[in-house]
Amino acid sequence: MSAYAELHCLSHFSFQRGASSAAELFERASRLGYRALAITDECSLAGIVRAWQAAKEHALPLIVGSEMRIEDGPKLVLLAENLAGYQTLCRLITQARRRADKGRYRLLHEDFDAPLDGLLAIWLAEHDADQAAWLLTRFPQRLWLGIELHRGPDDAARLKHLLAIARAYGLPAVACGDVHMHARGRRALQDCMTAIRHHLPVSEAGVHLFPNGERHLRRREELAELYPPELLAETLRIAERCTFDLDQLRYQYPQELVPPGYDATGWLCELVELGARARWPDGVPDKVQGLIDHELELIAELKYESYFLTVHDIVRWARERGILCQGRGSAANSTVCFALGITELDPSRSKLLFERFLSRERNEPPDIDVDFEHERREEVIQYIFRRYGRERAALTAVVSTYHGAGAVRDVAKALGLPPDQVSALADCCGRWSDRPPAAVRLLEAGFDPENPLLRRVLALTGELIGFPRHLSQHPGGFVISQEPLASLVPVENASMAERTVIQWDKDDLDLVGLLKVDVLALGMLSALRRCFDLIEHYRGTRWTLASLPQEDPATYAMISRADTIGVFQIESRAQMAMLPRLRPQTFYDLVIQVAIVRPGPIQGDMVHPYLRRRNGEEPVLYPSDELVPVFERTLGVPLFQEQVMELAMVAADYTPGEADELRRSMAAWKRHGGLEKHRERLTSRMLAKQYTPEFIARIFEQIKGFGSYGFPESHAASFALLSYASSWLKCHEPAAFACALVNSWPMGFYSPDQVLQDARRHGIEVRPVDVRHSGWDCALEDGGGPQPAIRLGLRMIRGFRQADAQRIEAARPFACVEDLVLRAGLDARAREHLADAGALRGLAGHRHRARWAVAGAEPQLPLFAGLTARDDPPASLPPPTVSEELFTDYATLGTTLGPHPLALLRRQLESMRCRSSRELRDAEPGRPLSVAGLVIGRQRPQTASGVIFVTLEDEFGLINVIVWHDLAERQRRVLVQSQMLRIDGHLEAANGIRHVIAGRLTDLTPLLTGLDVRSRDFH
Amino acid sequence: MRWACILFPQLAMDGVLRQRSDADAPLVLLAGTAQRRRLQAVNPAARALGLKPGQSLTAAQALSQHFATAEYDPAAIERWQQLLAAWGYRFSAQVSLHYPRCLLLEVQSSLGLFGPWPRFEARLREELTALGFQHRITVAPNPAAARVLANAHDGLAVGDETLHQALAPLPVERLGFSREASSAFARMGVRNLAQLLALPRDGLAKRFPAEVLSQLDTLLGQRPLALAFYRPPDRFEARIELNFEVESHQALLFPLRRLTADLATYLAGRDSGVQRFVLYLEHRNRPASQVPVGLLSAEREAAMLFELTRGRLEQQQLPEPVLAVRLVARDLPPFVPEHQRLFEERPQQSLPWEQLRERLRARLGDDAVQGLGARADHRPEQAWSSQSADVALPPCGPRPGWLLAEPQPLREGSVQVQAGPERIESGWWDGGDVRRDYYRVETRAGQRGWAFRTVGNDGPLLLHGWFA
Repeated sequence: MSAYAELHCLSHFSFQRGASSAAELFERASRLGYRALAITDECSLAGIVRAWQAAKEHALPLIVGSEMRIEDGPKLVLLAENLAGYQTLCRLITQARRRADKGRYRLLHEDFDAPLDGLLAIWLAEHDADQAAWLLTRFPQRLWLGIELHRGPDDAARLKHLLAIARAYGLPAVACGDVHMHARGRRALQDCMTAIRHHLPVSEAGVHLFPNGERHLRRREELAELYPPELLAETLRIAERCTFDLDQLRYQYPQELVPPGYDATGWLCELVELGARARWPDGVPDKVQGLIDHELELIAELKYESYFLTVHDIVRWARERGILCQGRGSAANSTVCFALGITELDPSRSKLLFERFLSRERNEPPDIDVDFEHERREEVIQYIFRRYGRERAALTAVVSTYHGAGAVRDVAKALGLPPDQVSALADCCGRWSDRPPAAVRLLEAGFDPENPLLRRVLALTGELIGFPRHLSQHPGGFVISQEPLASLVPVENASMAERTVIQWDKDDLDLVGLLKVDVLALGMLSALRRCFDLIEHYRGTRWTLASLPQEDPATYAMISRADTIGVFQIESRAQMAMLPRLRPQTFYDLVIQVAIVRPGPIQGDMVHPYLRRRNGEEPVLYPSDELVPVFERTLGVPLFQEQVMELAMVAADYTPGEADELRRSMAAWKRHGGLEKHRERLTSRMLAKQYTPEFIARIFEQIKGFGSYGFPESHAASFALLSYASSWLKCHEPAAFACALVNSWPMGFYSPDQVLQDARRHGIEVRPVDVRHSGWDCALEDGGGPQPAIRLGLRMIRGFRQADAQRIEAARPFACVEDLVLRAGLDARAREHLADAGALRGLAGHRHRARWAVAGAEPQLPLFAGLTARDDPPASLPPPTVSEELFTDYATLGTTLGPHPLALLRRQLESMRCRSSRELRDAEPGRPLSVAGLVIGRQRPQTASGVIFVTLEDEFGLINVIVWHDLAERQRRVLVQSQMLRIDGHLEAANGIRHVIAGRLTDLTPLLTGLDVRSRDFH
Repeated sequence: MRWACILFPQLAMDGVLRQRSDADAPLVLLAGTAQRRRLQAVNPAARALGLKPGQSLTAAQALSQHFATAEYDPAAIERWQQLLAAWGYRFSAQVSLHYPRCLLLEVQSSLGLFGPWPRFEARLREELTALGFQHRITVAPNPAAARVLANAHDGLAVGDETLHQALAPLPVERLGFSREASSAFARMGVRNLAQLLALPRDGLAKRFPAEVLSQLDTLLGQRPLALAFYRPPDRFEARIELNFEVESHQALLFPLRRLTADLATYLAGRDSGVQRFVLYLEHRNRPASQVPVGLLSAEREAAMLFELTRGRLEQQQLPEPVLAVRLVARDLPPFVPEHQRLFEERPQQSLPWEQLRERLRARLGDDAVQGLGARADHRPEQAWSSQSADVALPPCGPRPGWLLAEPQPLREGSVQVQAGPERIESGWWDGGDVRRDYYRVETRAGQRGWAFRTVGNDGPLLLHGWFA
């Protein structure tokens, strides 16, 4: 039988065209005995790393290529013969992509004027042959005429015609398959994707659909029937010429950071030494010096100096501009990074060891994520582009894949379901579910799962899930290189202007050995920096993350009371519920606290064993002595991803390489599977070492739990530092902390209203917005006591513009409203905003008068300045009532400084026998009672089967309510729609946490008519 | 003058409900984009389920599955308004649709005919209820005041002396000011008209656009409101009484020719065509026989209209002698003339195609003559339709001009394969998936056919069509 290599084949990285993954393609090609397989996605190499992996797995040579159409020109398949050809291909794709919008390309004839060495071209001629001469000049001796036969109307005539063209130009002809799917069974999916691509239902997409399913990897007998043998033989000649392998790529980190006279190692040593002297002004302790020397040695050995230098350079630049940042990730929590200022976490404070994160044996690249203030990260990104140029720096791509809802939505639309039903079907999928909707959910929603149309929808949805959908940009993952990036990987435009993205995602980078730096945005850093500024301004003391007093008992006491509104990470309802049970007393307790309230440990059922052991309710036992060092710091309970990998190495004799593979599989199993072989390997090896099957099963459950939500210890430690810093500030500088949070909003879990209500409950005075005193931001004013008062800023006024606020600040003080309007140059909109917000009370009186006053204040022409305004008789306007004030406060400022809404309703609520959150503190558990409050949060933790946590707020504080599944279903409408709820139920108290277990819900929203209470729902 | 305002608080809903037998079942009207459907209106039963206007459909479905939906159709509302205006025209010569979902009637002058007012009002309510429209009725000395009062009242009739008193307590936001002005008043603490009138007029003039003061004056009757009055719609109706009782079709042709000619003249005068009209044949002892005439497109040529009507008329049995002939044309769409060549090429005796088509339709029935169009589908039997359409088609090989209704087995060896196979695999989405290899074949007699065999099937070739 004739041998064959397929030279024209699309994977599903030709979005909405290819209907099979590279793995499927290679699997089948190898089974059919193909000699090689080219992956030629349309103007893209986004799927090539995955193809390379699949090729290795099936021991079938991969040919790297791409199918492209020249604008107003021929369609070509370009194949990389060698490294030079690969680089040329990257350049062509980059050029074509960079001149078009995201997701498109424009390849021009002139792109082929530069040398094209090492690039082979297959010309897919259509009717006219007038491009042949031009192509021959560009690809001398490297051009073929591709012949693709798909049982069309008259294959014999077509073959004859094409062969005639080939003869006429002296071109060799070669057989190609134009493969769009691995097997004929994907025909429906391929049609469906075509329809999706053209935004048409399949039934109307006829003009775009292929007439048959021949564009798959065909058996060689079939090919032999269709093609003359010499056309098939020619495929092998081409395949043999293409020797390029992605292994040949060599990547170099930028070199220019090293000044002349130094090498990278020497310069890193010098910087670390300088940094260490600043960190330890009284001399670097011997133990620390030892660590530094050890780490530097390891870094030098693995040749990661340039990586550390690059990260250092970015952090240094940010610091010089006063941008607060904090590194995290496997290599970030090292003494070297502490000395370099990449992290503020002193490794001697934690039990973390550098070796655990950067190891000689594991071939795992260092991973440093740096968080920056969320409002200023863009400056950092632009610095990187400026410093290295667009040729050498680009963002990493993220491959967005189809989840359940998106897939079912697209498929249902393509099969012509009406929009209402499309939405209803999508709603049957969980938000991030990777399965088609379950039959039960469909029945609930009124669909018949046995209906043939619906069965087609579900079957195709199942196939489409997990397929890549498009490339988007990583939030901040940078790849920087010494050589132009476009010689390594194609670069394309992102949807955001001024951003460029490489075509590979982070898994691809790992495999090819490219290093990336994550430049991320974190709201809390903005708040912390603002808080440090406020304190410095008010008290003259400058704190930094590193200089805050460590291990402060008052701070831990506050944390243990769950008094953590606004604090980083440990402020959520679930975290707050855990705090009084865990009662963190040390920094490492905080690291655990941050990591433990996550789906991974919760699904793996690790939380309760840990709590029991910590509270001395059960003995701390280890499955074996060899695992003691691995699990000691977490009392024998595996909580971190790192521990799982260590366990695999210690208890199942994994090599560091295998452990690394396990880490990757953990991250990807939900999408790609692939954990099964680890289950077998772990089980057999651990059984051999006398571990019990139950223990092994539990460990494996946990590995699955970590999959999507794995939280490594290295990240937890960095986050815990921010949790500690924000807690310390909340504990000792509550006014400055609340003020900084409000100024940094939107961020975090709570609205400014909730943060300010919390501050007031802690005795902080909050002063109203007032044009005579307020700047744009909220500020601190002398409060007469130890804590300053918070003066609300003009930024609190919804819809107010910063420029107006700045002019007001500059023009102060004002004699009257006319004076304000005139000198601050306020237009009608700004004036009305000020009046409605009550910011003119000092100039014009209550809101109604202020509104009348600003409506009559006309900015005068300079000519008439000084003349009295036209006679304006006074108007009598009624003052707003207390509840009107409240409503308007919320409508204009989102908060009120008057009585809490519930305080206004308290008498009514008392008559309904509802208790306040204050009374709840002393109520006896177990007894039936009623409470009422504003609904400020509804959460359905994915881990708690159908339970809904409702948080109510009243004038004294928060009330935590648990609504069990049955009740939630029964009273769904009340639960979902109420802004104010009354709960009849009973109180449960344990370990200092009090919950009301709901027995009945009553909607009290009508009592609030007109009030805009914003609840945080189901996040 | 006294003006009645009849407000229809749920016109869209009533318009839908009056066509449904289950008016008490929960029903919502939907509006919004296909992606974001939201509830535009709900009936009481739906309201009881917790459904509210403004909700998204998804949110509503989360609350309940048990409600019917219908489209919120602004065009339908317009039609109902026209219907109601036509109804109101019977009671007053001055009817206006000045305000949406409202009917303004000048009633002073009609009181003599329908009055006194309580009796008049009772009659209006009775008829509206029978028509199926909920309503509120108020009367005031000027239309603007009547409209504003209808926001808060039903059945209130005020005269000049009580107008001020009736308007004073009305909330500012219901006085017909722009949203901005209403909200500005609310923000100043001005809640009702009385408070508003207490404010200095100069101060108001300085702070509010001129429309505010003019609306105020209009309400108080100090400034007239310019109204556009309703005119009944145009339609063509003509009747010819015959001098004797006619029993044969033949004798009807003359009056018919006159009627169709008049219609054609009339159509030409208003530059429209006619697409449907009805010929009524009036008898002595029984209701008129109707001869409906429908056309594929709007036409107005007298000869053609006559020819058509004649065709239809001749099919009709005359149950009784005819006393009079009446032609009523309501559907008068704009006429788009056929492009005519400067030099007529058509021989004198032949019919133009349109006329032939209509004559065939008239003789053979509407369904016997159909258009032919192509569809973009790879399956040959799905590649055509009776709807003529202008669609892009996929490139494909030669296709036979005559496709058999059912493929027929070909006798073994009776044909020679000329080309193929051409493989067609398509149509899985509607359950009609085909997988066929097609061949061009030639019979011994030289006929060229198109035949297929299902992929993976060894049976005989099935003949699917003939090439011309």
